[in-house]
Amino acid sequence: MPDPADDRGSGGRRISPEDEAAYRGRISELGDRLDKAKAEREAAAEAELDAEMRGRGMAYGMRMAAELVAAVIVGGLIGYALDSWLGSKPWLFLLFFVLGFAAGVLNVVRSYERMQKEIAARTGGRLGTSVPDDDD
Amino acid sequence: MPDPIHQFEIHRLVPIDLFGWDVSFTNSSLFMLVTVALVVGFILVSMRGRSLVPGRLQSTTEVTYEFVSNMLRDAAGSEGMKYFPFVFTIFIFVFVCNMLGMIPGFFTVTSHVAVTGALAALVFLTVLVVGFAKNGVRFLKLFVPSGVPIVIMPLIIAIEIISFLSRPVSHSVRLFANMLAGHVTLKVFGGFVVMLLGAGTYAALAPLPLIMAVAMTALEVLVAFLQAYVFAMLTCMYLNDALHPGH
Repeated sequence: MPDPADDRGSGGRRISPEDEAAYRGRISELGDRLDKAKAEREAAAEAELDAEMRGRGMAYGMRMAAELVAAVIVGGLIGYALDSWLGSKPWLFLLFFVLGFAAGVLNVVRSYERMQKEIAARTGGRLGTSVPDDDD
Repeated sequence: MPDPIHQFEIHRLVPIDLFGWDVSFTNSSLFMLVTVALVVGFILVSMRGRSLVPGRLQSTTEVTYEFVSNMLRDAAGSEGMKYFPFVFTIFIFVFVCNMLGMIPGFFTVTSHVAVTGALAALVFLTVLVVGFAKNGVRFLKLFVPSGVPIVIMPLIIAIEIISFLSRPVSHSVRLFANMLAGHVTLKVFGGFVVMLLGAGTYAALAPLPLIMAVAMTALEVLVAFLQAYVFAMLTCMYLNDALHPGH
């Protein structure tokens, strides 16, 4: 195959049809290779994000558990303290235990809302790759 | 089997008795001092050049600064930037303590609820003081959501107050529990390797827990960063509540 620089050097000679076809072939091959490299890179980035989101998923789970349990414990302690102070065992303990549970659920709902926002900001709403459903 | 809890024991290095209080210099105090010295030393050294085009060390510090300032500005708005030194100190202290704990043989300061509890209490008290100083009685609006029928108001207020009081508990427990659980798991897998190696033909199985321990170490490094991030993030959110109590 003649070098394209030679062609141009020898003064405005037309590129022969065979050469043009060869160049086109090379260009489309280059395009394919670029597409492939791009796809590979995107897949790698996707996998990395997925791994990170899995790690985050675990952290989020722990967070929920801590939110719920902490409120129940605090509610129970307040009730217990009021009971020993007012001598009304065990009624205020029971009442505040239940209130603590409600507060725990409130905590979980609030942190869930925050979590959704964070995840949406990062990935557009996905936490880890979705597992295919049997029903699908 | 090696005791997985042994690594969390506190030893007195320099016994100090102050008016009947035991304020000894312990291994925990030592690692806190090491953390502070490392952070201060690193920042001073990395920012010594103060070049317009940062070198590697300087950009590490600058990226950390940007990271924390973005986090704070997103969560608490630009008024929140007044508390940047507070949030930055907490983030970097927890982060470096967590990371130092990942080095084998080192003590993990943040695996003790006394330390994380003190940090969480500091954040809680700061929020209370800032909230009342900035908004006065209006800060109490935090406990009164709008649009609630007057009949169930007392119930809602009680729930909101318990929810508010539970913040320092979950704030501190989350960090300490994560660090404690991670380090115990690592130690247990390490213990399996040693036990299997001493068990005759079963020694052939020893690489399995070793691989697991290596994978867990990678996960723990991620957790160490993530928990420091979460701790600082929640600090920002609580500060936001103190600055803008009207939800």
